[in-house]
Amino acid sequence: MTNRQDPVWRFLLPSFLFIGLFSLYPIIESFRLSFYRMILTMPWLGAKFVGWENYWDLATDPVARGSLVTSLLFVAVTTPIEVLVGLAMALVLNESFRGRGWLRAIVLIPWAVPTVVSSQMWRFIFNDRYGLFNYLLFGSATQNYWAPLAEPGLALMAVMLADIWKTSSFAGLILLAGLQGIPRDLYEAADIDGATAWQKFRHVTLPLLKPALLLALLFRTIDALKVFDLVFVMTQGGPADTTNILQFYGYKKIFAEGMIGYGSAIAVVVFAISLLLSILYLRVSGAGIIRREPAR
Amino acid sequence: MIGLLVFATVFLIPAEVGAETRLRFVTWRSEAARIFQQIIADFEIGHPGIKVIQEIGPSSSTEFHDLVTQKLRNRDAEMDVFFMDVVWPAEFAAAGWALPMDRFFPPTAQSGFLDASVKANTYGGHIYGVPMFVDAGMLYYRKDLLAKYQLRPPDTWPELVRQAQFIISQERDPYLTGYSAQFKQYEGLVCNMMEFILSNGGALWDEQRLKSAVHTAKAMEAVRFVRDDIVRLIANRGILAYQESESLALFTQGRAVFHRNWPYAWEAANDAGQSKVAGKIGVMPLPAFSGHKSAATLGGWQLAISRFSRHPQLAWEFVQFMTGSETQKRIALRTGRAPARKDLYHDPEILKRSPQFQSQLETFTLATPRPRTPVYLPLSNILQRYFSSAIAIADSNIEELARSAARDMDRVLDLLRDGRKS
Amino acid sequence: MKKLAFAGAVLWIGAFTLLPFLWFLLTSWKSAGEITAIPPVIWPNFRWNNYRAAIVEYGLLHYIVNSAVVATATTVISIFVASLAAFALVRFKLQWARYYLMLLLALSMFPQIAIAGPVWRLLSFVGWLNSYHGIVAAYIAFALPFAVWVLTTFFEELPYDIEEAALIDGCTRWQALRLIVFPLAAPGIFTAAILVFIQAWNEFFFALIILTYPALQTLPVGIALFPGEYTMPWGEIAAASTVATLPLIALTLLFQRRIVQGLSAGAVKG
Repeated sequence: MTNRQDPVWRFLLPSFLFIGLFSLYPIIESFRLSFYRMILTMPWLGAKFVGWENYWDLATDPVARGSLVTSLLFVAVTTPIEVLVGLAMALVLNESFRGRGWLRAIVLIPWAVPTVVSSQMWRFIFNDRYGLFNYLLFGSATQNYWAPLAEPGLALMAVMLADIWKTSSFAGLILLAGLQGIPRDLYEAADIDGATAWQKFRHVTLPLLKPALLLALLFRTIDALKVFDLVFVMTQGGPADTTNILQFYGYKKIFAEGMIGYGSAIAVVVFAISLLLSILYLRVSGAGIIRREPAR
Repeated sequence: MIGLLVFATVFLIPAEVGAETRLRFVTWRSEAARIFQQIIADFEIGHPGIKVIQEIGPSSSTEFHDLVTQKLRNRDAEMDVFFMDVVWPAEFAAAGWALPMDRFFPPTAQSGFLDASVKANTYGGHIYGVPMFVDAGMLYYRKDLLAKYQLRPPDTWPELVRQAQFIISQERDPYLTGYSAQFKQYEGLVCNMMEFILSNGGALWDEQRLKSAVHTAKAMEAVRFVRDDIVRLIANRGILAYQESESLALFTQGRAVFHRNWPYAWEAANDAGQSKVAGKIGVMPLPAFSGHKSAATLGGWQLAISRFSRHPQLAWEFVQFMTGSETQKRIALRTGRAPARKDLYHDPEILKRSPQFQSQLETFTLATPRPRTPVYLPLSNILQRYFSSAIAIADSNIEELARSAARDMDRVLDLLRDGRKS
Repeated sequence: MKKLAFAGAVLWIGAFTLLPFLWFLLTSWKSAGEITAIPPVIWPNFRWNNYRAAIVEYGLLHYIVNSAVVATATTVISIFVASLAAFALVRFKLQWARYYLMLLLALSMFPQIAIAGPVWRLLSFVGWLNSYHGIVAAYIAFALPFAVWVLTTFFEELPYDIEEAALIDGCTRWQALRLIVFPLAAPGIFTAAILVFIQAWNEFFFALIILTYPALQTLPVGIALFPGEYTMPWGEIAAASTVATLPLIALTLLFQRRIVQGLSAGAVKG
């Protein structure tokens, strides 16, 4: 029950302020711009209000359609794998063993290395002549070496691998914190009942891990749609546009080509997709966001 | 001791209290960062009361463009002088970002600089930048390998392919490849492909009629040649992901017979500290297709003044200083970077340090700029997409890709035409 | 058998995570020739030039200091603000709590490249470009949705009885948050803190356009400035990354213990 004296505003105002200024305002501005045709390098065209024209053009733009497919493919493949790998990490790290602290720190390294660095690093690893990837696969037989970043079929997978390496630990950390919140006595009770490891996992761990799982899935999906640094450094959208995810296409439109209206429309579309997917998650998982009654 | 203190304070205080004008120079981290510092310090000594503040951005052209345009599109008055890539003047002129420099930099002064670079800085009859560094595509080759098989450096591309194939088959070195260049889907790809297309008598666009020309027979023929002869026969598959540094690394490790790159590669490839082929390389203008002339893409950087600068006159003095003969000579001697002033190519000191400049001068003079239009970047993105799709897929339908690219290019160019009318 | 499988899992996870980074680490000791050797040279001749160059010529240390300042400030303030918000959302019976959370989530989905322009204009307008407070303010806004969500999820799981008792005894909400909730929710708070810190540490695009004075640039921007126009100083970049990651590893080692301590407190609750 809320007391009338609950200092609601004092608690919530700071977050309102930051969000309002640096998130809400820029986003509304982007929305607004998506309805205009504004090309910076042709100022004589002015900023003309064109309604839905940018969105219509997007729908008929084959490059945009391709980007959309690429983005969705990227999300569909990386998110489940990252959550699974993260889960494996979390399960292992939840057990006590010697050197656990070290493994936890190690697991955070991919996430801790700045993306601009790890992107360069992966580009270096995938190099077709002196890259680690080829060396591990083929040793010194350089004539068999692949060029993952040069092959239209492989480049996207290479970028996905880099992303999985980089962010699995993010999911892992969230899931670990969730695992730690599960009281030990539940497991002890299950042991007394003679449950197997798998049964314990299915009936004790998974249900109680659901909120954390949802959190991990949700944020990984959103971030997967916003992937940028990896593509920017490793492939610049190529080869043959096969890694041209929607967000990168939008970047090129806004920054390289100065087509602000069109680029903003692309951003809005990415946003809409994120929104859709999130709503889907929440519906399907049935997880409530806030319980109606406070936890007793 | 006290005397020193008094001495110091007497000389320091005026500097702090006096109205100090700040000139903001947005640049990237030059390979010769230290010499830039020295040069700027010299400028400040010669112009008391002025402080030049450097803002450093990334060296990558795309990232630098993001940074600079972010300030310009928001009319940031906190930027006075900045570097411009050779393909930006038209864009910056049309958008009203770069200050027209006609009153500072008349044609008489312009003639001191390489013609191609000056032309690239001109748009709509006005000049918007002063060339600082110049670049043009060149062919590097393994002198020792060609000499071993008594081959003269190739005049035509088909001859280059034949020579590369021959050498590879004779050397029986599994690590050796025929050709190394920059075919990743980025701006460098357009530079490379333009050289093939132009040296076949084709073009990227029709400047007069503002229409695309990539779907013409000669242009498509050149693209087909790259796909079928270069990528398929004599280059690594990986060439499709190379930028300058990887492609050069292949050459300096002794793994490539021919290499297309900018002039800077000469020093790197001849540096025994990092190159395995030091002293074994030659450089020459790029080959052409028979019956046509060699073509080199013009590159380089220019200095521009922001239209929103509060001190245009001062900014000009700085630009003039940076691009003056003395400064350009200092930089060229220190870094080996090709200067933009014509007379320096006959300077004995410079030629002693960089003898290759003598033969390269002609290439620099005849280098071709990429389409000088405010919409170059959108056009480039379309071209990058087209070229990459055409050469990366073995059985790509070049006609269809070319026609589609031409359509997209025309749509962008049409916007330009509409503007011109009004 | 189970022990073997477990050990295998540990090894795999460690290897997968560590191998690329170890490769980069080895690269930091190689000379330029060794780095681009074909086929690759695994074991270097252990030279420290790259480290020296990274620190002396490229000014690595001041980038790290800037990143540390920015990331720490962002983390401390974001977690504080987010805790306030999460606590309010969970404890004060607010009708619109769900909608606020959904709004936060939605806002975090918007591609950053599109909001870069307006954010830049905003900071320029208040004169906060090229300043710590400017970039920290932007980073806090980016971190809040995630932090509020994570903290809400963890605060929700906490039992209410202790707080209820304290409130009856005359404790204020703020005291309840500080003295009861914070200690109990420590694992969640530290988890959120680490992730916010790392996100702020890694952020590149906004730092690039907002911080253009070399004295203020953060690590990702600094490292992005290492490449010359056509050269890629792999060795120096590898050295810089190593130096940059070590403090983070140390930090997380520290935080690990805190999380474990928080766990023991929570386990007692049962």
